[in-house]
Amino acid sequence: MNQELASGFTIAANASIAVALAISALLFVIGLVGFLCRRNMIIMFLCTELMFQGAALAMIAFARLRMDVSGQVFVIFILTVAAAEAALALGLVVLLYRKRETLSADAWSELGES
Amino acid sequence: MPISTDILLIWISILFPIATALIVAIGPAKSARWTALAGTMVSLAALTMFAWNFPAWHNAEHFPNTVGASWIPNAGITFAVGFDTVSLLLALLSAFLMPLCIVGSFSAITERTKEYYGWFLVLGASIILAFAARDAILFYIGYEFTLVPMTLIIAVYGGTERRIAATKMFLYTFLGSMFMLAAILYVGWEHRLAAGVWDFDIDTLTKTAIRLPSSNQYWLFAAFIVGFAVKVPLFPLHTWLPLAHDQAPTAGSVILASAMLKLGTYGNYRFALPMAPAGGADLMSFVAILAIIAIIYASLICWVQTDAKKLIAYSSVAHLGLCMLGLFALNPVGAEGAVFYMVNHGLSTGALFLCIGMFYERYHTKDTDLVGGLAKRMPVWASFMVLFTLASIGLPGLNGFIGEFLCLGGTFIAEHDGKTGYPGVLGPWYAIVAGLGLIFAAMYLLILLGKLVWGPLREPHGESAHAGVGHANSSTRLPRDLSFREIAILTPLAIACIWLGFQPKPMLDAIAPCAEKMLANYPKEVERYMAESTTAPLASLRVKTTDESRDE
Amino acid sequence: MIPTGSIPQAVIAPELSWIGLALLLPLLAAVGCALCCALRVKGKAAAILTIVALAASFGIILKAYSSYTGPVQVPIFQWLTFQWGTGTFQSFTANCALYIDTLTLYWMLFVTGLGTLITIYASEYMEGECGAGYSRFFFGICIFLFSMGALVMGDNLIMLYLGWEGVGLASYLLIGYDYSRPSAVAAAKKAFIMNRIGDLGLAFGIFMLWANYGTVQYSELFAAMNKGGQSSVDWDVSVIPFLLMLGAFGKSAQIPLFTWLPDAMEGPTPVSALIHAATMVTAGVYLIARMYPFFELHPQALATVAWVGGLTALLAATIGMAQYDIKRVFAYSTISQLGYMFLGLGVGTTFGACYHTLTHAFFKALLFLTAGAIMHGFAGQLDLRKLSGLRHIPGWRIVSWTMLVGCLWLSAFPYTAAFFSKDAILLQALTSVRADFRFLGWLGLFTAALTAYYTFRVWFRVCAGPTHFEPGSEEHHEPTDHHSDGGHDAKATVGAAKSHGAFHPHAPRWAINGVLLILAVGAVVVGVPAYEHVFAHKENWAQQMIAGSSAYQGAGLPGEHSAEPSENHPTVLGMDAHTGLTVVGCTASIGGILIAWYLHLHSRKSADQLRAALLRRWWIRWVPICMENKWYVDEIYHVCFRLPMWLGGQILNFGDRHFLDGVLVDGLAKIPIAVGKVFRPLYGGALQGYAVTMAGGIALVLAWVTWIWLRGFN
Repeated sequence: MNQELASGFTIAANASIAVALAISALLFVIGLVGFLCRRNMIIMFLCTELMFQGAALAMIAFARLRMDVSGQVFVIFILTVAAAEAALALGLVVLLYRKRETLSADAWSELGES
Repeated sequence: MPISTDILLIWISILFPIATALIVAIGPAKSARWTALAGTMVSLAALTMFAWNFPAWHNAEHFPNTVGASWIPNAGITFAVGFDTVSLLLALLSAFLMPLCIVGSFSAITERTKEYYGWFLVLGASIILAFAARDAILFYIGYEFTLVPMTLIIAVYGGTERRIAATKMFLYTFLGSMFMLAAILYVGWEHRLAAGVWDFDIDTLTKTAIRLPSSNQYWLFAAFIVGFAVKVPLFPLHTWLPLAHDQAPTAGSVILASAMLKLGTYGNYRFALPMAPAGGADLMSFVAILAIIAIIYASLICWVQTDAKKLIAYSSVAHLGLCMLGLFALNPVGAEGAVFYMVNHGLSTGALFLCIGMFYERYHTKDTDLVGGLAKRMPVWASFMVLFTLASIGLPGLNGFIGEFLCLGGTFIAEHDGKTGYPGVLGPWYAIVAGLGLIFAAMYLLILLGKLVWGPLREPHGESAHAGVGHANSSTRLPRDLSFREIAILTPLAIACIWLGFQPKPMLDAIAPCAEKMLANYPKEVERYMAESTTAPLASLRVKTTDESRDE
Repeated sequence: MIPTGSIPQAVIAPELSWIGLALLLPLLAAVGCALCCALRVKGKAAAILTIVALAASFGIILKAYSSYTGPVQVPIFQWLTFQWGTGTFQSFTANCALYIDTLTLYWMLFVTGLGTLITIYASEYMEGECGAGYSRFFFGICIFLFSMGALVMGDNLIMLYLGWEGVGLASYLLIGYDYSRPSAVAAAKKAFIMNRIGDLGLAFGIFMLWANYGTVQYSELFAAMNKGGQSSVDWDVSVIPFLLMLGAFGKSAQIPLFTWLPDAMEGPTPVSALIHAATMVTAGVYLIARMYPFFELHPQALATVAWVGGLTALLAATIGMAQYDIKRVFAYSTISQLGYMFLGLGVGTTFGACYHTLTHAFFKALLFLTAGAIMHGFAGQLDLRKLSGLRHIPGWRIVSWTMLVGCLWLSAFPYTAAFFSKDAILLQALTSVRADFRFLGWLGLFTAALTAYYTFRVWFRVCAGPTHFEPGSEEHHEPTDHHSDGGHDAKATVGAAKSHGAFHPHAPRWAINGVLLILAVGAVVVGVPAYEHVFAHKENWAQQMIAGSSAYQGAGLPGEHSAEPSENHPTVLGMDAHTGLTVVGCTASIGGILIAWYLHLHSRKSADQLRAALLRRWWIRWVPICMENKWYVDEIYHVCFRLPMWLGGQILNFGDRHFLDGVLVDGLAKIPIAVGKVFRPLYGGALQGYAVTMAGGIALVLAWVTWIWLRGFN
């Protein structure tokens, strides 16, 4: 293998990683802003999923960069966990809705200090 | 490696009470007290059997001295247990007091008995663990774990301000122990730097620590002394103690004063002094001055106390101040006296707390302005009270005298010339000021006796209704004078007080090698210290200046 | 006279350990009495036990005396002993062992002898207490005799200290015997605490001795002394006598620690006689006599003893003149006589001091026991203004006449034993080369006159004159329950009453009378050594006893203290010293008695007139007032020591609770709470609030990491 090829790969990888990271950051920020601004618990939950996927995308990108599959393993693991967790979370949301007849997160603030 | 009988006996004395605690917790409430008593008796029996075959009474070695079963191998933490004479004596004292306290609680604790006895057993076990530990971390666990049951005992079964008292005791002593833990970990780390592996065996740590440069030892010692001074307690770190004693139930006070406070002095004996001789030499006059302040300060406070239990609590501060003074005289006389005093303070003060508790159960007040002249009403109780007070005053022929006299004498002869082979910087003036404490002790304890035992009979309003001799007190179902059970509690203590007063020799002989071992490095270090500082009479100022110079 | 050689060395004699029984028996009797107490024995078992034990230990001492050959050291068992090296200063030896020399035997003979007699007396005196405190009383007596034995016979200073504090304990328990009386409790406490102050001095003296000689055993200390232990006199050696002195002053009630003894009269009278007159209070004299060589370590040490003794003698005599309570008068006379003993020790005649101790033990015990008999019979009446003409009442003759013997002896009437013992002290003082000692001698003579006056004031008032008496109130004084005594119920025997209602004083029976007679005879007999010396020119027995011990060493040191009459023929008022002193002493004694006779028997009104006349004149008024109020010493001590310390205690108590605990400790605990308050709004409970906090936190961490990265990792 010659070095140019190797460096070309690296450049390509760098270029693609920049794109991938930008998208992942975008996903994360959208999720974050959504989480912070919305009061509807289902929307907030969806936003957390978005942040998840942002993080997962970043991981895949780095895995590609380092030529290491463990990042991808993680992402697959995260996807399965997220699915399980989604079921759990939605169940919780339904439960909370039944208690207060609303989906607003503001209805729940008993843990507050003041 | 097969486990020897001795190790087995030690672990029985520690684990059997814990197992009994579990049985008490799940068993019926009615039999809790007897189960608990059996548990402590087995513990005491196991420890006595161990002491019977103890081969190291006359040398300073630990026994069993084998490598302990590994616990956390990567960190070098083991289950090493074993006693030297001093720790064995103190553990025996604790194990001896436990059954007495359990029996003493029969009438005082009527609610939540299962929890009470269960925690009490755990308390006893953890105290014995702390004394038995040959691994510093194991010691720390025993030392610290005593706080949990004690806090619960105070917070659930105590007086009206029990929560505050329990919280303060826990946080205060816990804060102190953090310094001690830091010091232990620091020495462990130094050991790892030197030897490459972690090891928390106390002897190994000591060997490591004494090789440290003297400035490191200074801070090591300071950390240890802060940690243990809270527990002793040494002025000005004592304020948790009167409150805790005041609020604790009787048996809790007894164990607190007799066994738990000894963990502090024992810690000085086991860790602070032998591990950091250079620091000890630098700081001895500083600690001695604090001890003397404690003696005078606490004595004067005792003088104006009207609460009998608080008075005894403050007297503990004064007495343990004397004990610390003896320890920091850094010569065999003082050290022997201090160790002897640890045991005997446990006996006499524990007994005094029991006496006060018995009278509290009958009158529901500890205020000496309200109750008094009980010699007429309770002559048996009064006899015991007088005996233990005299032991506490330090009357020759009773146990308190030996310790007090030797502590004071050790301080007195801790002079520069080093004729004794152990130079020191304390000397006569320290002893004379501390000796005033003996006069004060006679004053406040006799004032207590004069109010509580002698004088015309004074009883709180409404109590005199049960005046007839032998009539049962309606609220507590106790006879006017002591019941057979209560006499049975106090008699062993009385015998111990008199016996040790007349025959201190076996115990002194047993302590002597340990005291010398503890002081092994001191003559050299004290001489270095004296050479470094030229102005002899102002020892305290000297400490301050060295302090500052190290800061820079 | 007696050559001053080296102190004879003691031989170790384990075969003499039977002498230890003299200590063990009282201790066993104490255990027996405690058992009687616990079993609530109603009879006199405790008294019998005590008497038997004490008589046996007296016998043992007698046997030891008869078989005495030289100083011995008798080991019994190891007590407070350990060592940490092989050098002189690397061990501490204080065994339970006995040191028997003539001084020990001298002391033990009268301690156990008088102890036995007074216990016999007490067995009758205390019988009203049978079943109540009877056994407890004898328990205290046994503890006392054990401790006194340890004090005198111990072979080291720690044993002495054990006994020293032990007699203090016995004194505490017995003064506070009637514990329902607050005054008794207070007196007991005071006695213990004042003694404790002295004890501390003694303890430091012991430490100092150890620190300088490396031993606390007499034999080794004396050996060091023989070798010239005084050569290395620096300050810490020379302070030893002053420390020991403090202990002696406390125990023997000298200035400044004398105020406890008069109050100690709250105890039952046999206790006053035994402990607070005859034996315990002489422990200070014993200590100084025993450690006499060490009092040469500082040139002014003995002079201090002399001055303190002389001044105490005078001060106590002036107070004694103005007291009305018979026991108190005798208590002050005890202090005064103890002052003489210290004066004797100070001016260099240990013989005089020890001989006076012996004679004093007899006549003062006698006086107290007669006072006790009066108190016993008159329901606690002790006010000498309310008793008169006792010798005319049937059944009281023995008491009256034995009291006269005691009074004559106390006032040093010519040719009584006490005359010679006091003479020995004053002679030494008056013939001293030191002017201040001669002054103290004259002061002592003046005090002797005062003594004669106040002693006979009591006798003329109480025993002579017209018969008249008022019974006392039992509550006020001792619990001697005259009602319970056989058929002597006062309220039943109305017919026997005279001018005083239904009260019938019950006369003492055989035990009390017998003991009084024996003591009176004893008081005469202790004069025999002096008579032999004066008339037969034999060597005085007491002098022999003292001379064989450590007490005589140094007593004849060149120049300073002693004066050999043969050397320069010292004179008193131009006459030969002996003759002169006899004349002056007789004059003082008889003069005092005559004044007492005039004021208190011949015309009792004139005493009151004199007092009124003194009180009328402003410039002299303070004298009787101060004397009656004991020179306000108690009040001064209260203001100077107790009050400031009590105030200090209150301040510290307040400071401890509110400053140290309240401000510092609780204040420190408030810091985390305050810090927590700052961040509390971040955790308002709204879900998004938490999220913002979290995101903000992450952002901060990221910013920090980025900043570090940009800066370049260093």
